[in-house]
Amino acid sequence: MISAREAGLVGCHRCGTVHQPQDHDCRMCGKTLKSRKPNSLQKTWAWLITGLVFYIPANVFPLLSNRVLGSEDGHTIIEGIILFFKKGDFLVASVIMAASLLIPIGKFLIVGFLVLSIHYRWNLSAHARLVLYELVEFIGRWSMIDVFVVALLASLIRLGAIISILPGPGSVCFALSVVFTMISAQSIDAKLIWDDTSKEPKHE
Amino acid sequence: MTTGLNYQNLDGLIACPHCDLLHELEALQPGQRATCSRCHSTLITTKSETMDRTLALALASAVLMAGALCFPFLGMSKAGLERKASIVDVILAFSEGWYVLLGLCVLLFVVVLPMVRAALLVYTIWPLRQGRPALPHAKLAFAWAEALAPWAMTEIFIIGTAVALIKIGGLATISFGTSFWLFCVLVLVIGFQNASVCRWTIWSTIRKVTA
Repeated sequence: MISAREAGLVGCHRCGTVHQPQDHDCRMCGKTLKSRKPNSLQKTWAWLITGLVFYIPANVFPLLSNRVLGSEDGHTIIEGIILFFKKGDFLVASVIMAASLLIPIGKFLIVGFLVLSIHYRWNLSAHARLVLYELVEFIGRWSMIDVFVVALLASLIRLGAIISILPGPGSVCFALSVVFTMISAQSIDAKLIWDDTSKEPKHE
Repeated sequence: MTTGLNYQNLDGLIACPHCDLLHELEALQPGQRATCSRCHSTLITTKSETMDRTLALALASAVLMAGALCFPFLGMSKAGLERKASIVDVILAFSEGWYVLLGLCVLLFVVVLPMVRAALLVYTIWPLRQGRPALPHAKLAFAWAEALAPWAMTEIFIIGTAVALIKIGGLATISFGTSFWLFCVLVLVIGFQNASVCRWTIWSTIRKVTA
């Protein structure tokens, strides 16, 4: 097992074609060739922190507010979960908790952990990192569920004073937070995951 | 290092785009799939008629989307009052300040980007399938189609609808519109479309016809 970089070659990030290091553009798909994406980890940090910054107001401000017969009550993500728990709706409560609380927070922790483990070359099997990376790549988009829920409810439930659901500022912040963390996960160069570990057995 | 790889002929090699591991290209039998031996991501699939399938599914998704936009998506009723909303209503519902972003999220991730991706796939693959030279900027078009894949979120939208229904619970009575069912089919079609694209086949065909 030998990577293109160890063989002194450059593999295209987009299509996998193998090139000499002096080649500039991929002869197959035209992408500018880089052995590793430049500043991949810094970019990941930058987008991750941006996402985190927007995640704070997303939790502080109400996601949406119900207006039933003139009385209006808005609730944040956490208040919503508590509300459903108190009602005894454990299924709803756990779905919302997974989509808007556990997945985003888990994403921040995992991306942060991945970047740190690559940067400091923590003694962690590459396969464990691969699992984490794929988890983040796969799961990140699913946080958008909450944004769609708010958009659907607020556009459908509109019967003036009888019953209306209005979007709250938290929903917009949440949408931005999801977009920024998705970009953050995409900025990770997955090839870095394997760089230090794959060498070890070769040199023995 | 003795790895048995032939570095003289770079066209006989492929580096896994996900983990950089070098592999020797071998001719695959139809129906076979080449995966990276280290990270197990798919390198090449040789589905028979990968291009036909992708084209058919991309065109089908466009037809379904056109239908899904025309009909009501969900309906609600409460105290004798009724209201129906189509996807277009959902997009246009938000006009105040920053809330425009909510409608924009639906517009982009659910309607526009999946359709742009389908259009780019058709643009790239149609001439290739006919055995004609690729259209101008076909490489760029296909690269964008692939880059857009994670941003097309139709399946997430459908799950979001389910969650929304659970969330309303007893607040109002909800009914499904024609558009909802079209959308469920659309999600399946887009799923099959994404699974039928073999990047390596398309990249090498573009290269063959432009060379």
